[in-house]
Amino acid sequence: MSDLKLRVKEMIIERLKLEGMTPDQIEDQAPLFGEGLGLDSIDALELVLGIEQVFGVKIEDEAAGMKAFKSVQALTDFIAEHAKA
Amino acid sequence: MTPAPATVPADIPAHLPHRYPFLLVDRILEREPGVRVVAEKLVTIGEPHLQGHFEERPLVPGVLLLEMLAQTGGFLEAEPLHGAAIFLAGVQDARFRAPAFPGDRLRLEVTPEGAFAGLMKLKGTVSCEGRELCTARLLVKRL
Repeated sequence: MSDLKLRVKEMIIERLKLEGMTPDQIEDQAPLFGEGLGLDSIDALELVLGIEQVFGVKIEDEAAGMKAFKSVQALTDFIAEHAKA
Repeated sequence: MTPAPATVPADIPAHLPHRYPFLLVDRILEREPGVRVVAEKLVTIGEPHLQGHFEERPLVPGVLLLEMLAQTGGFLEAEPLHGAAIFLAGVQDARFRAPAFPGDRLRLEVTPEGAFAGLMKLKGTVSCEGRELCTARLLVKRL
């Protein structure tokens, strides 16, 4: 698991208080919302705030969020791309 | 800090959909839309909930302190809410350090922590004469 992906998973677990869950229990391609982790809109706001705080990356609008929150892999790619800019 | 008078709305009911007995903000003291709002609520003995909470020792229910903060958050919006409904979607880290009594002039201060997809996270503090009574984070959603 890449270092960034591991940090993303740790941030998700910490920010959403997924007690008892470990990074290796979150699948890279599983959807964050609906099936998969089954997150809701409040979780989405928490993640937006967490990503900004931990990685310094802003998710400006809903469209960007929909793309980034598709999976852990998509979110990691989004952060990697925008953190460099 | 003295805000520009134009940013402080005097007509509270024009900005919020809440009405008696559930309009819990009396006055806006400072307001910078999207950044910070400071409001005031004077607790009076005639308020209906105080009749039963409690008969011998009236004090403001803690949940109403949270409601006051949520209503104050309505003034963070750049435009008046008019009839738009806002609902409380979550409460985090709520602490009630001391009760509010009739005669207390409550200072309600709210700042936003972030927003996404119609949800807003607020940080709020209720204080009285420089003493913190309640602090909380609120999640609110505009319908």
